[in-house]
Amino acid sequence: MFALLQTVHALGLLSGFALLGTSRIGACIRWLSFQGILFGLVPLILHEGGSGWRAGFLAAGNIVLKGIVFPLLLLRLRARADTSREVEPFVSFVTSVLFGILALGLSVWLASEMKPALRQAPFAMLDSSIFLISVGLFLIISRRNALMQVIGYLVLENGIFVFGVITVVGTPLLVELGVLLDAFVGVFVMGIAIYHINREFGSVEVDRLSALKG
Amino acid sequence: MLGVAIAGAALCLVLQRPRHVLSVIVAVSAAEMLLAVNIWAAVLAGPGFVTIAEQWLYVDAFSAFHIAVLVLVFLLSSAFAGVYFTSEAEHDFTLPVARRFGALWLGSLAAMLLVLASNNLGIMWVGMEATTLLSAFLISLYPSRLSLEAMWKYLIICSIGIAFAFMGTLLAAASIQSGGATEADALFWTHLASSDAHLDPTLMKFAFVFALVGYGTKAGLAPIHSWLPDAHSQAPAPVSAMFSGFLLNTALYCIMRFVPPAQHALGTDFAGGLLTAFGTLSILVAAGFIVFQRDAKRLLAYHSVEHMGIIALGYGLGPLGAFAALFHTLNHSVCKSLAFFAVGRLGQRFGSHEMHTISGALRVDSLWGVALLVSLLALIGVAPFSIFMSEYQLLRAAAGAG
Repeated sequence: MFALLQTVHALGLLSGFALLGTSRIGACIRWLSFQGILFGLVPLILHEGGSGWRAGFLAAGNIVLKGIVFPLLLLRLRARADTSREVEPFVSFVTSVLFGILALGLSVWLASEMKPALRQAPFAMLDSSIFLISVGLFLIISRRNALMQVIGYLVLENGIFVFGVITVVGTPLLVELGVLLDAFVGVFVMGIAIYHINREFGSVEVDRLSALKG
Repeated sequence: MLGVAIAGAALCLVLQRPRHVLSVIVAVSAAEMLLAVNIWAAVLAGPGFVTIAEQWLYVDAFSAFHIAVLVLVFLLSSAFAGVYFTSEAEHDFTLPVARRFGALWLGSLAAMLLVLASNNLGIMWVGMEATTLLSAFLISLYPSRLSLEAMWKYLIICSIGIAFAFMGTLLAAASIQSGGATEADALFWTHLASSDAHLDPTLMKFAFVFALVGYGTKAGLAPIHSWLPDAHSQAPAPVSAMFSGFLLNTALYCIMRFVPPAQHALGTDFAGGLLTAFGTLSILVAAGFIVFQRDAKRLLAYHSVEHMGIIALGYGLGPLGAFAALFHTLNHSVCKSLAFFAVGRLGQRFGSHEMHTISGALRVDSLWGVALLVSLLALIGVAPFSIFMSEYQLLRAAAGAG
């Protein structure tokens, strides 16, 4: 179990850095899908043995939604929006990757702060969840393409999902279902919003959305 | 209770099908009727609480009060929506728009009821996120550049905020587990607040801060209010009234559900101090921005930020302040809805919400002109109106605490 978690941890960090350093939206979506599947496996790894069907259900739901459904939706949106395929961020890719290193340090520190209070949580997962949350936030604020913002939101969502899985063992199924449903509807709504924005502005660059101030 | 709430939700799903433009309003008011019954049930149970479905739904006096205000605001707004939209029924308010409006409108009502009635912090969160998603398209009911921009900001900022609130919820659940309690009811706030729950203070502290920032985004507390004026100014008037009159209160209500466990684990000072700080900051920031506003709806939006600040401050000040805050919630919701109705109607009349074009409103449209005047006076807190009373009480509470 430990070795498996280490692998997930390493691959997860890799996907985070890849998302920070990649310019093509298609590639980012693929990394996102990989990340979704990867972290969807976490509940399975943690609960090998006990309460099998619930962990399995959770993992399956996550893998299907985040690994397959969302990326397909995003890919379709990209094709529909017909934007330039390169992202031009506010912050350059080198700086983004540097930020990733900073975020990693920060998350290791925060995780070691929280660790004493969360005894049952494996450290590797704790720090990768905080890392994903900060990377997600960074992607949302630093990219000007609306699709990339949705990707950032999903990375954030992945991080929170991992955090939930490792810290709270007994969340009721109803709550988990609700959360998944909300994520699904959220991406759907954002998709429709992007569609409208694209139709109205002829682009999905959010720096055009700057009329409302003060 | 539960039956009626779900009936309300189901009703909006059923009613959205065979609809003509005008029957939107009928559907809305029908649902409102049912929900009025809903409050009565809650009020009758006044002395204690109502709980159903193995404590998954739990309504005490605090949430019953909020439900009552919610339904009142919704009733007013729906009635007004009838007036507002029929006058533009010819060209803009077509059948698809009407359908979308009705479904989303009642959907967000159901989601807010779910937030207020649920005992489980997780379900509360789900309801809150649902209100964000459902109401997003209410803002851009007529897709235009500005409304789309407002909607996108609302969607992104509130989604992030809500994600933080979810972290808070998770941490609250984790804090009780490391205290060694049963897993089943870890997310029930009734359990979290009770004295036999052993909470981990560090985690509870994190949890409260996350919840405050997360739900505070949605409530429009000061440093994280930036979506609010845009959304309020771009949404159609009945929608702004609903946002301002109740959506913000729902988010504050969520924060308040985190207060008892935080006080339990950390003593009274921590949570109260944070709420007071955020409240004061909101009041100051909003007061600064209000001066520069030219658009009447934006003005009202900043005004909401200020009032949310006042309410948060009241909650932060302890029992007397909390009473004043509750009173203020009612006053603010009703007056603010009225103000938005008046501005919306006058805006239709004048074709703009810029304040200098609305001048002379009393002569042009005396009914709504007077309404605007009265509601603005009430909102500023002029003496005979009830906002004066609640703000006065709040000051007394502050003086007593300080």
